[in-house]
Amino acid sequence: MCRRGEPFLVTIRKVFRPNGNSESKLNMGQVMKRLFAWLCGLALLSLTSPQLPVQAQTAAVATGTAGPFSYDVTQEVTLNGTVSSVLTKPAAGMIMGSHLLLATISGPVDASLGRFGLRGKGAVSVAAGEQIEVTGVMKTIKNQQVFLARTVKAGGQVYTIRNEHGFPVSPQARERASQKTAGEGL
Amino acid sequence: MNRKAHASILALIFVALIFLTGCGSLSSTPAPTETITATSGTPQSATVGTAFAAPLVATVTQGGSGVSGVVVTFTAPATGASGTFAGGTNTETDTTNASGVATSSAFTADAIVGGPYTVAATVANVSTLANFSLTNTAAVVSSSNYSFYLSGLAAINDVEGPNFYALAGSVAIDVNGNVVSGEQDYNDAFGNTSPGEPTTADVITGGTLTVSGTTGQGTLTLTTNNPKVGVGGVETLGVQFVNNNHALIVQFDGSATSSGSLDLQNLTGTHSGGFAFTLAGVDPRYYSVVYGGVFSLSSGTVSGVYDVDDFGAEVTPILGTAFTGTTSEPDSYGRGTVTGTGIAGTLVYYNVGPEAIRLIDVDTTDSAVGSAFGQGTSAGKFSATSLGTSVFGVASNSFGDNYAEAGQFTTTPASGTFSGIGDDDEILDGVGVVSGSTISGTYSIASNGYGNLTIAIGDLGSVSVLGLYLTDPTLNLNDPNNTTSGLGGALVADLDGYTLNGTGVLTPQTDTNTVDFTGNYAFGAQQYNYDDFWEFDFVGQGSVSSPDGVLTLTGTGLVSDPGSFFTGDIAANTGATFSGTPLPDSNENSTGRYTLLSTNPLAVTVVGGSPVDFNVVIYQVSGGQLFWLEEDSSSVFLGPLEQQGSLTGLPAAKRAAAKSAKPKQKQ
Repeated sequence: MCRRGEPFLVTIRKVFRPNGNSESKLNMGQVMKRLFAWLCGLALLSLTSPQLPVQAQTAAVATGTAGPFSYDVTQEVTLNGTVSSVLTKPAAGMIMGSHLLLATISGPVDASLGRFGLRGKGAVSVAAGEQIEVTGVMKTIKNQQVFLARTVKAGGQVYTIRNEHGFPVSPQARERASQKTAGEGL
Repeated sequence: MNRKAHASILALIFVALIFLTGCGSLSSTPAPTETITATSGTPQSATVGTAFAAPLVATVTQGGSGVSGVVVTFTAPATGASGTFAGGTNTETDTTNASGVATSSAFTADAIVGGPYTVAATVANVSTLANFSLTNTAAVVSSSNYSFYLSGLAAINDVEGPNFYALAGSVAIDVNGNVVSGEQDYNDAFGNTSPGEPTTADVITGGTLTVSGTTGQGTLTLTTNNPKVGVGGVETLGVQFVNNNHALIVQFDGSATSSGSLDLQNLTGTHSGGFAFTLAGVDPRYYSVVYGGVFSLSSGTVSGVYDVDDFGAEVTPILGTAFTGTTSEPDSYGRGTVTGTGIAGTLVYYNVGPEAIRLIDVDTTDSAVGSAFGQGTSAGKFSATSLGTSVFGVASNSFGDNYAEAGQFTTTPASGTFSGIGDDDEILDGVGVVSGSTISGTYSIASNGYGNLTIAIGDLGSVSVLGLYLTDPTLNLNDPNNTTSGLGGALVADLDGYTLNGTGVLTPQTDTNTVDFTGNYAFGAQQYNYDDFWEFDFVGQGSVSSPDGVLTLTGTGLVSDPGSFFTGDIAANTGATFSGTPLPDSNENSTGRYTLLSTNPLAVTVVGGSPVDFNVVIYQVSGGQLFWLEEDSSSVFLGPLEQQGSLTGLPAAKRAAAKSAKPKQKQ
C-alpha cells in the first residue's frame, strides 16, 4: 500500500518493475544506479532501432492537460474513517459513479469509487458503520471536494479502485490482473 | 342327305377348323402392339418460372413404325415442383403426326425448386408409358457484398458487467434481401472471440435484409454458426441507408449495442500505396487503447509508423513507433490478415474498396476495430497546406473515459497554426461540458501524412494532443463509396495520455450555408451515460426543413437500448421520434455551428415513453455531411448526419413497408 511520504519510491517502482510484485523498496543509490543502467540501455536501443520515416510528430511523450481528474500518485494520502453511506449511484451534485461517504477525524469525506468500484467480482464489499482505510488523492471538482480513491482497505482486504494513473479499474481489468495475463500483442 | 355325304361335310368342316386354328397357330402373325417412348426433352432443367428449353417429345410406334393419329397425354405432377403446359394446366394431349411423334407445347417450370420429377406420356390401352425427367432450379439472383463493422458494449457474456466488443464482417445480400452468405469476426477480448480465430471467421449462413425503399430504414438479420453472438447465433442489426451503397448501423437485438457502418464492397483490384489508419479498443489488461498511424502497403508487406495511447500501459502515449507486418491474400469476401505489426497478434481486414479497409483485432486477450484509408496520389506529398478549414469529431470507445469532442477551425499553413471553435463533453472525469469554446494551437504534417494538432491547454477541456493521419483528398471517410462530396481529410486519434483517448475523423469544411442544411438526412450516434449499462445507440432518418427561416429537424429511428436509458424495458425500439430546431450561431457562416440547447433541445421519444431532451450542437461540414454532439453533464453522444441520396436500388426494398418490426424485449 502506498502511504504518504513514499510517493517517489512508488513512482520509481512502477517505472522500473512494471510487472514486479516485490514490496522491497530501493534506496536512492540503488535507484540512481538502475536509472543510469536503464538510460544507457535506452540510448543503445535508440541507436540500433530502424530509422523512422519522415514524421512530424515528436517521439516524446506528450502530456495532456491536467484536468480535474488528472491523477498524481505523488499526492496520495491515506484516510481512515467510518462509512456513513454506501452510494451505488451518485447523489445530486456528485460526480459520476459510486461513492462512499466517510466520517473522518477531519470531517466528512466523499470518496469516489468510480463506475466500477461497487460492481462485479472483486468489488468493494463494505457496509455503513464499517471502519475502512482509503488511499487516493483529494481533488476539487466543480467546487466540491472529492476524494478519488485508488485503494480501499476494508475487512482486512485491499480493493484496487483505480490504477496508478487514476483510471478506474473495471471488473474485467481486475479479473485480468488476478490472472496475471501475460499479455499479447497490444 | 345320306350318311356318307354327311360325314364328308363334317370332315371338311373339321379340316377347315383345323386349318383355320391349327395352321394359324403355326404360321400366321398377329398385329404388333403400340409402344411409346420419350424421344427428346429429357432430362432437362429450367429456372423456376421459366420455360424448359425443349418441348417434350414422345413417339408412338407399332412394329417399329410410327403410328399417326394416336392421342398422347402428357401429365406433370399436380403439386410440388412441377410445371404447366401452354394451356396453363399440368396436363395436355397431343396427337402423333405421320411419324408417330407427339410434341408438347412449351412446358414452364412452376415456382417451386425441386426435382428431378417425372412428366409421364401415356397412350390409351398401352400399358407402358414414357417418362420425362425434369428439374426446377432456383432462380439465379444477383447479390452484392457489403462490409460492416461495429463496436460498443455487449450484454452477452456479462460475467463482470458489459464488455467492450468489436464486430466486422462481409455479407452477400441478393436483390430480394436474402442473405446469401458471409463471414464475420467477433471479439470482446473476454472469452467471447470467434472460436476459429485467428484462422477462421464465423460463417454467416443466412438472414434477411428488410428495409423500406422510402426511408432506407430497416433491419438486417445475420444467422451465424457461432451460438455465442447475438441471440443464439442470430444477430439483428438496425440499418439506416444513406444511399444505395452506405448505411449507418447499430446492433439491435438486446444482446449488445454498438454503432458502425455497412458499405458496398468493391472487391476488384489490389491494394497498394500509402494508407492512414486508426483503431480503438481494449488492451490485454482491459483498459481503453487507441492507435493511429500511416503505412505503405506493397506486395503483402506493410511498413509504417504508429501512435498509441493506452490507459493500461506504464507510459502513454507512445508516439512514432515504426512497424512492419505481413498481409495475407484476401478471400472471396475481401477478408485477410495482417500479422507481425506489434499492434495486435492478428489483425483481420475486410476490403471495402481499393482505398478503404476495415480492421479488427482478433486476439483473444485484446480487441479493437477501426479503418484504414488510402492516401491516393497524395501519398508522400502531404504538407501543412494539406490541412485547411476543417470540422472534426472524436470520441472515446465504449470502455474509455467516455467523452466526445467536435469543432471547426481554419489553418494558417505558413505558421502551422489554427484557430476555431470547439465543444467537448467529458462525462466521467469531472471536466463536464465545454461548449462553444474558442480554440487555437499548432499543427504539423509530414510528407507521409503523419501529423499532429495540438490544441492549447485549457481551450477544450482535457483535449489537447491529437494525432492526424491524412487520407486521399478524393475519399469520403464516412461513406467510402461516395466520390463526389465530403471528400478528403484525416483520421484522428486523441492521444491525451491517461486523461483521454479516442478516435474520429476530420473533414474539410466546404459549405456553411444554412440553406444547404435542408432535405432528407440519415443520422446516428453512439451515446454514453451514467447508467450501469452505459451506452445506447441509434440510427434514424428524417428531414430538415426551413419554414419561415427556422430550421426544423424531424425524424424517426431505431434506438438500441439494452440498458434501458429510456423509459420501459425495451432493448430495441422502433419508431422513436426525433425533433428539434437547430439554431445557427450568430457567426454560423464562418463556423458551421448550430445549437439545440436548453430552450430548444433535441427531443427523443421512444414508443411508449416520454420525450427526453438532449443538449446538442451540430457542425456543418457541408449540406451533405454534418456531425452532432450531445453535451449534457451526465451523457454524451457523437454521430453523423448524412444527406440521403438515391434509394431506388436498395436490396430488399420491395419487402418494404410490409414489415414493421415489433419491439424486442430486453434480454
